[in-house]
Amino acid sequence: MLLHYIDLSWRSLKRTPLVSFLMILAIAVGIGITMTSLSVYHMMSMDPIPQKSTKLFAVQLNTTDDGTNWWTQDNVPLQLTYKDAMTLHKAEMPTRKTASMRAGFTVHLNNQDLKPFLSDARLIGRDFFPMFDRDFVYGSAWTTEQENVSAPVVVINEELNDRLFGGSNSVGKQVYLDDNVFTVVGVMKQWDSHTKYYDLNNGAFDSPEPMFLPITLVAPMQIESWGNNNGWKHEAISTFEGQLQSEIFWLQFWAELNSPAEVQNYRDYLQAYLEKQGQLGRYNRTVPEFNLKNVIEWMEYNNVVTSDNKVLLGLSFLFLAVCLANILGLLLGKFLRRAPEIGVRRALGASKRQIFVQHLVEVSLLGFLGGLLGIAIAQLGLWGVRTTSNEYNALATMDLSMLLAAPTIAISACIIAGLYPAWLVCRTQPAIYLKTQ
Amino acid sequence: MLEIKPILNSLLRSKAGALMLLIQIALTTMIVSNAASIIFDRIQYLSQETGFPEDEIFSFSVMSFDKTLDLTQKFEETETMLRNIPGVKNASLFNAVPVSGSGSATGLGLQPANERGQDSRAAYYMADENALDTLGISLIEGRNIRADEVIESQTREVFPKVVLLTKTLADELFPTGDALGQTIYFGDMPLEIIGITEKMMGPWLKDSRPDNVAIIPFVGASTFQKIIVRTVPDQRAAIMRQIEDIMLEDHNKRVIVGLRGMDEAKAMYNAADTLMLRMLVVLIVILLSVTALGIFGLTVFNINKRTKQIGTRRALGARKSAIVNYFLVENIIICIAGTAIGSIAAVFLGQSLLNFYSLPALNSLYILSTVVFVIIISVLSVIMPANRAANISPSIATRSI
Repeated sequence: MLLHYIDLSWRSLKRTPLVSFLMILAIAVGIGITMTSLSVYHMMSMDPIPQKSTKLFAVQLNTTDDGTNWWTQDNVPLQLTYKDAMTLHKAEMPTRKTASMRAGFTVHLNNQDLKPFLSDARLIGRDFFPMFDRDFVYGSAWTTEQENVSAPVVVINEELNDRLFGGSNSVGKQVYLDDNVFTVVGVMKQWDSHTKYYDLNNGAFDSPEPMFLPITLVAPMQIESWGNNNGWKHEAISTFEGQLQSEIFWLQFWAELNSPAEVQNYRDYLQAYLEKQGQLGRYNRTVPEFNLKNVIEWMEYNNVVTSDNKVLLGLSFLFLAVCLANILGLLLGKFLRRAPEIGVRRALGASKRQIFVQHLVEVSLLGFLGGLLGIAIAQLGLWGVRTTSNEYNALATMDLSMLLAAPTIAISACIIAGLYPAWLVCRTQPAIYLKTQ
Repeated sequence: MLEIKPILNSLLRSKAGALMLLIQIALTTMIVSNAASIIFDRIQYLSQETGFPEDEIFSFSVMSFDKTLDLTQKFEETETMLRNIPGVKNASLFNAVPVSGSGSATGLGLQPANERGQDSRAAYYMADENALDTLGISLIEGRNIRADEVIESQTREVFPKVVLLTKTLADELFPTGDALGQTIYFGDMPLEIIGITEKMMGPWLKDSRPDNVAIIPFVGASTFQKIIVRTVPDQRAAIMRQIEDIMLEDHNKRVIVGLRGMDEAKAMYNAADTLMLRMLVVLIVILLSVTALGIFGLTVFNINKRTKQIGTRRALGARKSAIVNYFLVENIIICIAGTAIGSIAAVFLGQSLLNFYSLPALNSLYILSTVVFVIIISVLSVIMPANRAANISPSIATRSI
C-alpha cells in the first residue's frame, strides 16, 4: 500500500511541477539554513568525551578577597595559583588528578636537516593520559619517579613524531626544546578533539597541543605560561620564584571522581583546604568558595557555544517556520484543487483514513526530497562558514547524526505542515463533486 | 471604493490560506527587524576606526632559543637592521600588538596601587621612542618620549618615569582636561604624563575600554619578542615575504612566527563577528525571497480559483483596475495585520535577546523600516499576478467548465 501511495505522490508531484518545485525549494532552503547553524552548534556543544564527561571535574578555588569581581558568572576565577595547583597535584586524593598549563617551545634536533620550529606544549601530571583516555602508539607516559625528580622527558603526538622522526619508534630518542635536551618517552595517538575542553582559555576550538611535559618542570626550568595570567591585586613581582609564590591565577586543574561519594570526599577536602588557607591569612574571605564542574558543566560555564551561535540557531528555526507556513499555504491550494478527484475516490470506497494517509505520504515525499536538497544547501552554507574563519574548519562540517537529522527534520516539518491540508481534503463530501461533474 | 467589506468577507470564507500568509509576514517582520538590528550593530563595530594605518603595518614574533645570547643587545642590532631595509618607515620591539587580541592591561590611578580605590582600566604598549612613529599615531599635546627616557632591562626593578596616554584615557583620569604634566601610578610606580595622543586601539577591540591605551618607554627584550614594522604601503607585501629570511640571516637560533599584516590580524580577531554578519545577511535575503515567493504563489492560486468570478465581474462591467485593486487591497489588508502582529513579536524577541544574550536593544526604527520594506515587497509580488487576473476575458463567465 505504501508503495502505491508513494507512486501516487510521485505522479502528483509531476502533475504540478512548478508548485512541487517551489515547495521542495522552500523546505530545502529552510532545512539548508537551519542545518548550517545546527551543525555548527552541534559540533560546538557536542560532548567531547561521552564515556567520562561526568567523571572529570575542573576545579576552581576562590582565593581572592571578598568583593573581588571576576568575569565569570559567579565571580570565581577560572584558574588556580601555582601554589594551590601544585598542592592539589601532590595531594593523596583523588587517585587521578592533574595540574595543567599551556606553554610552548622552539623544537629542533640540533642539526642542519630540520629547520627549528615553534610548537605548543602542555605541562601536566602523568595522570592526564589515563584521565583523558589517551593511548600510546609507542612507549608510555613518564613514570611517577620521573615526574617527582622533574626529569626532562616528553610525550609527543603522532604528527610531531612524523615530522621529527619520520614516524618511527622514537622512544628514547632526544629532542631539543629551546636549548634543553629532552628524551621522548612516549608517542601518543593523534588526538582529534575539536573542542579543547581541558583548557578553554585561549581558543576553545584550537587543536590539542602536540607535546606533553611533566608539570614539575615549571619551577626548575622557569617555564612561562602561554595561556592567561590573571592577577587581581597589586603584588611586586620581579622574579620567577616570586611569580610561583604569587596570587596570580595561571594553571588549570582537573580531577577524576568516579562516584558521588568521591565527589563529596573531595568537596570536603577542598573546603578544609580553603578554610586552612583563610586562617593562614592568605586572603580575606568569610565563606570559602570553590567549584567542581564536570566537562559538560565546564563547557557551559565557559560559554563555549557563544550567544551569537544560539541567536543564529534560534533565528534559523524561526526561518524554518516561515518556510513551513509557506508550504502549508501551497499545500492547501494544491490539495483542495484535487477535491473533485478525491470525491470520486471516496465514492468508490476509499476511507477517510486512507485519503489522509495518502496525502501525508505525499508531503513526506516532499520533505524527503527537500531534506536531500537541504543537505546540499547546508554543505554550501558550511563551506561559506569555513571560508570566513579558519577557526571553524573543524566545526563547520556535518557528521552522520546531522546528515540523518536533515531529512528527519524536513519530513517531520512537512508532516506538521501537511496535517491540516490533508485533514481538510479527506473530509471532502463525495456527493458535491459527483453532482457537478 | 476600496471594496474592503467584500474583500474581508471573501477572506473569511477561505481563512487558512490567508492565515498562513499572515503568519509568514508576521514571522518575517519579527526576524528581519531583529536581524537587521544585529547586522547594523556589527557593521558599526567592524568598520570602526582603529587609528592606525592598517595597510602599512605588520607584526611578527621572534622566539630566540640561544641562551648564550645577550638579547637586549641583539634586538637593538636587529631593530637597526630592520629600520635600514628599503621601504621600511620604522620598526620597534613591542610587548603587544594592537588589535591582535593578545596583550597586557592594568589599572592606572592617581595614587599608588595600595592606597587607591577605583582605577582606570588601560592597555599598555611597552616600546622605545619609535613607538608612535611605528604605529603611525600622532600627538595631540605635549611631546614624544626621548631616547634617554627609555629603560632597557630584563627585570622591572628600574622603571620608566614618563608615559604617553591616549586622549580617551587622559580624559577619563583627568576629566577637567589638564592631564599633561600630571603624575599617575602604574602599580606603585609614578609616571609623568608627557604627551597625549590621538585615538588608538589597544589589543582588544571588545574590551570595555578599547581605546584606553598607555605607551610606556620600556624595552624588555624577551625570548618571545613581538616586533612591529611600518612600511610604505605598496611595499608591505614584498617586505613581509622576505622578513623571515632576513631575520634568520641576522641570527639563526630563532624562529619567526605569527607574521601578519595589521588588517589581517584585525580580521582574525573579528572573524566570528564577520561570520555572524554574513550569515544574518544571507538569512534575511533568502527569508525575504521566500516570503515574496509565498505571496506570489498564494495570489496565483487565488486567481486560478476565482477565474470564473473574475470573468463574471468583468462581464458585469468592472474595470481592469478594479480587479487589480481588489487583489492589491486584499494583500495589503493581510500585510498590515501581519506586520502589526510581527512588530509586537519583534519587540518581544528584541527584549529577550537583550535580556538573555545582551545584544543591543532593538530600535523601533528597524521595525518601522522592516514593515515598510515588507509591504513594498508584498505589493511588488502581488502586482504581476493581479495584472494577469485583470486580463481574464469576460467571455469566460459565459462559458461553462
